[in-house]
Amino acid sequence: MVDKLRRYEKIDFLGEGQFATVYKAKDSLTDRIVAVKKIKVGSRAEAKDGINRTALREIKLLQELKHDNIIGLLDVFGYKSNVSLVFDFMDTDLEVIIKDSSLVLTPANIKAYLIQTLQGLDYLHFNWILHRDLKPNNLLISSEGVLKIGDFGLAKFYGSPNRINTHQVVTRWYRAPELLYGARLYGTAIDMWAIGCILAELLLRTPFLPGESDLDQLTRIFQALGTPTEETWPGMTQLPDFIQFKPFPAIPLKDIFTAAGDDLLDLLASLLNINPLERCTCDQALQMPYFSNNPPPTLKAKLPLPMTIKRQPEEKPSLKRKLLEATDGASLAKRLQF
Amino acid sequence: MEEQACPRCKTTKYRNPSLKLMVNVCGHTLCESCVDLLFLKGSGSCPECQIALRRANFRVQLYEDAMVEKEVDIRKRILRDFNKREEDFETQSEYDNYLEEIENVIYNLTNNIDVIETNKKIEQYKKENKDQIIKNKSKLGKKENELEELLQLERLEQEERRLEFIKKELEIKRHKIREKEALIDELMFSEQDARNIIQLFASSIHASEDEIKFAPKPTTFSTGIKFGQQNNTCYLSVPKIDEGPIYHYIPITQEIEGPIPPVWGELKIQGYISHVRAASEGERAGGFGSNIACLRALQEAMAGLYHDSSKQLLEILTIT
Repeated sequence: MVDKLRRYEKIDFLGEGQFATVYKAKDSLTDRIVAVKKIKVGSRAEAKDGINRTALREIKLLQELKHDNIIGLLDVFGYKSNVSLVFDFMDTDLEVIIKDSSLVLTPANIKAYLIQTLQGLDYLHFNWILHRDLKPNNLLISSEGVLKIGDFGLAKFYGSPNRINTHQVVTRWYRAPELLYGARLYGTAIDMWAIGCILAELLLRTPFLPGESDLDQLTRIFQALGTPTEETWPGMTQLPDFIQFKPFPAIPLKDIFTAAGDDLLDLLASLLNINPLERCTCDQALQMPYFSNNPPPTLKAKLPLPMTIKRQPEEKPSLKRKLLEATDGASLAKRLQF
Repeated sequence: MEEQACPRCKTTKYRNPSLKLMVNVCGHTLCESCVDLLFLKGSGSCPECQIALRRANFRVQLYEDAMVEKEVDIRKRILRDFNKREEDFETQSEYDNYLEEIENVIYNLTNNIDVIETNKKIEQYKKENKDQIIKNKSKLGKKENELEELLQLERLEQEERRLEFIKKELEIKRHKIREKEALIDELMFSEQDARNIIQLFASSIHASEDEIKFAPKPTTFSTGIKFGQQNNTCYLSVPKIDEGPIYHYIPITQEIEGPIPPVWGELKIQGYISHVRAASEGERAGGFGSNIACLRALQEAMAGLYHDSSKQLLEILTIT
């Protein structure tokens, strides 16, 4: 175990979450840059099972998952009472890209991000796993333009009829209406709703439904998409936390997303369908005309990146330096002339 | 940038975001509320230079520099009288001199240099060129009238085109109705095979559709510039990025080492679903269906049935 601690050399502090601190590190065996997530010991209540629950979830699920668009868990090691997870190192995430106003996101870029996300999610759903915390912040992007779904702290198997889940999942802005109404048994539709919100955010470059409370979230959803009725969403009154809202008329999606084409609007309408049973599934979404229509998705290597992140393989070596070296004056300091 | 402020009440844009600075012919600024206060009677004197001002002449300040406003005012007034055009001069240099004189006059007036002298000059010019000023003024008016007429003509044409379009559309509609009636008549009274008749009519409708063509849409502006022409010059074309290939969906496949479980559509037909507790209405509203549970149970039951651990051991051995 101590070997493993030595194997990963800490380079940089990356961030701190509720359950863990993340460091950038170098794997001294393979010279690969990795991210080490050191789980906090946490309170006694959390640690009474021996290990933090979110960490356990991540380890349990990620160990068996292998897909280009899912974050790879490379290693797990413990030291004293700590547990650390070693992940692929990802340079940035979709939230940074959406918020960076200096970047232009073309329709082809958006399509490329969406395809990668849906492919990863399709793989998860195919393996009976719900992510339950999809948001731009958890869609990690490497400097090669590969998008990987990360943070499996809330992920869980689904499809068992007698296991009741909590509805307090998913960051509020991306939370589906059935969760807000307190549904305890749900399906892949909750992840699809989040994808719809993320797609809307990619188009608008600002969160689509930034609710300030759970109630406000529902109000915002209904104000934009229209209040559902028992016809459009059968059984909604049976949901545990159902509240009748005053009827809002739906705003046509065309008026909200003025720059989107018809094929894209079809996809959005399907992803943001209030009725979870009518919301499209991942494979249905990927087979919609939007993805096979023009423009084709941008190649991964050509996706935009924030200024601070260097694109390693593409970077041309500076010509100046080369010339200097050729005249073996590399060691000569430049003389300043006054 | 210097903060905009009213020189009288010292209110700034920061303290009153709706501050509106006004300016009069003298070029001194005042905020809107000060103007309201000082010029209650409709006229008064400028608090800075004491010149008599009329309230009606106050305008919202467009330029940050009030001197520019003043100059614009004066230029407007001067050019009303100094309205000769190039054609009125015999040589280029004479015209140039004339233009320079105008600029001099305007400069002097805006900067308060020899105001009396300059005003005298203007008066003298007015007296000397009285006839020509009036003539030129009427000429200008004529030109404006001509333009007005042209616009009017264009509007008329547009209206005409619109009416024609409506008429044509109506005619097409009527034509279609007539054709339908004829078809029904034919079907009712003719002895021919019904299928033949329908085919015949369909082909004739096709042919007539090709015939009817809408009047060509106008392609030029009244100035003779073609529609859409300016787009090419105004915008830089978007750089063409070489895009990747078009996306095609490939379904996920997985080695399950067992019999292939039934797919979604077969659950009901084969009766699998009847052995699973049906989802309640509330559960279905939450996006959970009993076929989800059924499908998963079936998949899990069948996966790995053919698994042969000795085979895998062999594989591992061969790899290592």
